[in-house]
Amino acid sequence: MLGAAGADVDALAGIEQWARRSVVVPDGTGIVDMHVHLGIDRDGHALGADDLVRDLDANGIAAAAAFPADEPGASGDFREANLRVCDAATAHPGRIIPFCRVDPAGPFEAVMEEAHRGGARGLKLHPVAQRFRPESDPCVAAVRLATDMGWPVVFHAGFGARPLGPAFAALLERVPSARLILAHGGRGDHRALAAATAAYPDVLFDTSIAALPDLVMLPPERLVFGSDRPYGDHAQALHLVGAAARVAGWDAAALRAVLGGNARRLLGGVAP
Amino acid sequence: MSAPDVLRVIALAAQAEMALVRRDAVAGPLLAQAARAADGMPAGHVLAEAARLLRAAPEREAVRQAALSLCRMGLQEAQADLLGGAP
Repeated sequence: MLGAAGADVDALAGIEQWARRSVVVPDGTGIVDMHVHLGIDRDGHALGADDLVRDLDANGIAAAAAFPADEPGASGDFREANLRVCDAATAHPGRIIPFCRVDPAGPFEAVMEEAHRGGARGLKLHPVAQRFRPESDPCVAAVRLATDMGWPVVFHAGFGARPLGPAFAALLERVPSARLILAHGGRGDHRALAAATAAYPDVLFDTSIAALPDLVMLPPERLVFGSDRPYGDHAQALHLVGAAARVAGWDAAALRAVLGGNARRLLGGVAP
Repeated sequence: MSAPDVLRVIALAAQAEMALVRRDAVAGPLLAQAARAADGMPAGHVLAEAARLLRAAPEREAVRQAALSLCRMGLQEAQADLLGGAP
């Protein structure tokens, strides 16, 4: 496709290889991508399960936690999209770890329970797309239910106008045992968010489309690898982690933790 | 390269990234400026390829996404350079 558009395909392939080589993956690391959208988003971005697995293979990534794109469907509750993600995980065992997505303003309990029966292993919440506040009562209830089910919760956390630190501090005060993954490294309000969550070791930040200066300010045990496919891509995501490792001076153990170990700990043994 | 030289690349690449996200036509000129500013730096080759690619077919969605990825890598490389992690 890019070749038809006049791109120098060889040059692009060379840059992809350079990006992948920029992170020296320690032996025995099973890379886990904690941030992938499957389906067709309202904004047109799309990714199918087979394409995702091909991409994982091409980039040496063991597994990906995947959740629906912003496609709530006719019912508006993500029920069908969640089941499609669960079906994708069944079709690619061990490669796709299914997360469900809900709108806390809707009947999320039934949707989460149905997804749980379908094999879902976590929850994704997007306060901007679904227009809710992380500290609102419905959101707190959804996080509490996910925590009771043993699920981690991936939150979109970045790029918005609203301050994130006080919001997540209030949420964590009400659900202190929640295991949260704050996406995009909290880009846009990272300092406040890092300070507000510092006392919660089960609150981690994913590296998807994050800002390098934000990542290197965190201890590596607070980071999980993510790509934000199809909005980001794996070559760029791996390059970002490689650059952060260079700047922060992570050793092999730290890099192994960021690329997969921390995610495994949060997922409770679900990832390969 | 001096810190102001690297900072100039970071500023231009960061502006280009958001212009690409927003499908703003100013992305092309910003990427071209970033590529020129990064000439001779570790970020130079990816930003140059991003600018060249976008110039070839700015209307193609696949091109925009590829240019965005390259732009982000150039930005990351320049930030690493400034923070003392140049290869």
